[in-house]
Amino acid sequence: MSVQFSGEPMLDMYIFETTQNIEQLEKCILDSEKSSGYSQAAINEIFRIMHTIKGSSAMMLFNNISTLAHSIEDLFYYLREEKPDNIDCSLLSDHILTGVDFIKVELHKIINGEKADGNPSEIINDIKSFLNELKSKNPGFMDKIRPESEEQPRYYIAPTKNKASSNYNAYQAVLFFEDGCEMENIRAYSVIHNIKEFTEEVYYCPEDIIDNDNTIEIIRSQGFKITLKTDKNYDELYKFFNQTVFLKELQLIQLEDSFEFNKFTESEQKEVKAEAVMVPKTDTDSKKPSGKDTQLTGTTSGQNIISVSVAKLDKLMDLVGEMVISEAMVTQNPDLKGLQLDNFQKAARQLQKITSDIQETVMSIRMVPLAMTFQKMFRIVRDMSKKLGKEVKLELIGEETEVDKNIIEHISDPLMHLVRNSIDHGIETAEVRKSCGKPPVGTVTLEAKNSGSDVVILVRDDGRGLNKNNILKKAQENGLLQRPAADMTDREIYNLIFMPGFSTKDNVTEFSGRGVGMDVVLRNIESVGGSVSVDSEEGKGSVITIKIPLTLAIIDGMNIQVGNSRYTIPIKAIKESFRPSSKDIIMDPDGNEMIMARGKCYPILRLHKLYRVNTSITELTDGILVMVEHESKTLCIFADELLGQQQVVVKALPQYIKAKLKGKGLAGCTLLGDGGISLILDIGGLVNI
Amino acid sequence: MKKILIVDDASFMRLSLRTMLEKNGYQVVGEAENGNEAIKLYAELKPDIVTMDITMPELDGIQALKAIMQFDRTAKVVIISAMGQETKVREAVICGAKTFIVKPFKEEQLIQTLDKIANM
Repeated sequence: MSVQFSGEPMLDMYIFETTQNIEQLEKCILDSEKSSGYSQAAINEIFRIMHTIKGSSAMMLFNNISTLAHSIEDLFYYLREEKPDNIDCSLLSDHILTGVDFIKVELHKIINGEKADGNPSEIINDIKSFLNELKSKNPGFMDKIRPESEEQPRYYIAPTKNKASSNYNAYQAVLFFEDGCEMENIRAYSVIHNIKEFTEEVYYCPEDIIDNDNTIEIIRSQGFKITLKTDKNYDELYKFFNQTVFLKELQLIQLEDSFEFNKFTESEQKEVKAEAVMVPKTDTDSKKPSGKDTQLTGTTSGQNIISVSVAKLDKLMDLVGEMVISEAMVTQNPDLKGLQLDNFQKAARQLQKITSDIQETVMSIRMVPLAMTFQKMFRIVRDMSKKLGKEVKLELIGEETEVDKNIIEHISDPLMHLVRNSIDHGIETAEVRKSCGKPPVGTVTLEAKNSGSDVVILVRDDGRGLNKNNILKKAQENGLLQRPAADMTDREIYNLIFMPGFSTKDNVTEFSGRGVGMDVVLRNIESVGGSVSVDSEEGKGSVITIKIPLTLAIIDGMNIQVGNSRYTIPIKAIKESFRPSSKDIIMDPDGNEMIMARGKCYPILRLHKLYRVNTSITELTDGILVMVEHESKTLCIFADELLGQQQVVVKALPQYIKAKLKGKGLAGCTLLGDGGISLILDIGGLVNI
Repeated sequence: MKKILIVDDASFMRLSLRTMLEKNGYQVVGEAENGNEAIKLYAELKPDIVTMDITMPELDGIQALKAIMQFDRTAKVVIISAMGQETKVREAVICGAKTFIVKPFKEEQLIQTLDKIANM
């Protein structure tokens, strides 16, 4: 089948849908656990999801996922049909979640182009024994495997019926079905069902095809034998049987007389107690669906949401960026300088308005609420509080806050890490909490809110808080202290935990501190232009504040000129810009230029030197200094002149430039209104050069 | 060209079926995600054949099949089922499904089946 599915879209769709299903499933489980029990709706939902995953995975030949999904499906089939009331919900959740995790891991392998080769047999066995245990606790189901909800009424066809008719021909047919068509017994049943439309004198072997799954094997090995009487001639009957789907082989013989017919029927059906054949009632009206369900008008289920690949959105965003630039190129065209163009200006303003509307709309398309990312944390809180024996509840505030899709992907892992940290290191055990006079259940709060062009996410816990002395001690041991401890504010001390190589917990636990420290969190957040800080009160808890830009694509920038090159500095990094006077310029002992401003000394960075740009302005007093700040580090950038403020579209640097200029403080590039290129400075990178 | 209506709640299955069918000269005239949609689309599109999943939200394949058969006695509905749904499949056959295919199936199986049903 893999040959058939060489087309990637199929795999993409599989991955997309299965991932979604898994997320939905997880949410369903956690919701159920929270409401302390699985509602019938939840059980149905889980059953349906597992059924879908089973089917899709089998089609893609991911058999390990398929069989695992099958075993969970079986479990929920049982729950759905039997409604046992003595389920250990927490144990049940554990089992499914283990299964869900397995599927996640396999999916991940598939996404990465690896082979999904995990072995689920252990999990399947666990689920099966759980199911068996449930069954033994709820006797009465033991022997019924997937029974019908209600017993079908049956009736017997008397073989003597219609015998009066003399022009009946007797036939015997043996049908073989194709290998691998599955459910041969029901296929056989389907044939009998169709035969009964024209004759009721029909016998078949094996007989109990519906109730006995073992008949599948008999049909496979010996074929499905039918003897019947009908007024059809041989050709007609032959044609009839040949219409059977998945028919591999058909043997049809006409029997000479009714004697032979009886002989056949008797020999074939020796074991039959009655001389009649049992055929389930075919009356479709017996289970007439309620009128509401069958109304042909149906319910309106028009699709309101379509899924679009992110690549297309990225492309669209790119194009909109180009359009913003082109618009500037047209309306600010140097050829127009000095001309009196009233009508043109009017039209240009209209164009401007529409462009910015489009830009806003496209940006809003890319915005995704943080809810999904936040919801994932419930699982972590659940697993951890169980393993660590701490009682923790997670509160979400402002999860509807929206962030650019690309950014969301980058903050999911850091958030997970922070939540783990809070529970592992922050929240105390119930006993300790009680003795401190706190409620026994710890609270971790995830809060998101908009602030200007940033989104702020707070991870707050009401645990023991950070211990200043421990942090200082550890920092000293690891040689991370650059200043005497006495000079540092509390905040500065707390923020030491983000330094690379810092870790206060000596014992690495299962959940946090697997060699990955807070510095990785910081790096992740910084990679999307965000920042992280921590504040804490000993004994009361701590708050970690993550600030991330709403979107990466468009920033407010200040354009500056150096020689013939232009650079863009993100506005939010700029503190001030000024013309230095020569008396304020000093040299430090190493020969670095510094500038005094309001009694403080700041390093100067000459862009023309850093990027080896030729410029006539090399005297500091001829140019301008732009003071920028990043993470409380300040720097003055020396440029020829300021060109003005503008919204710029951030474009990634081409790979070859990126490789060459790595670590040179460039975040990307952008096109300016006149068609020229400007390099966007990465202030975080520059202050650390 | 024979017109097909695909009914399945899993978009992956819909895509699989569509790909296989279109490759083999069938025209997929519609896709429905649940029984209600299936019934509505059947009345609208009058497809030659319907491929019908059983387990679906809102209204399952059996109910949809029943409604479609009531609406059009000659409707050709092929059930796409999975292992372990024997009871449902039997019910579907009783209710008038022309035949059924069991997942996972191969492209040839699907096409052979539909060819046969189409020529009935």
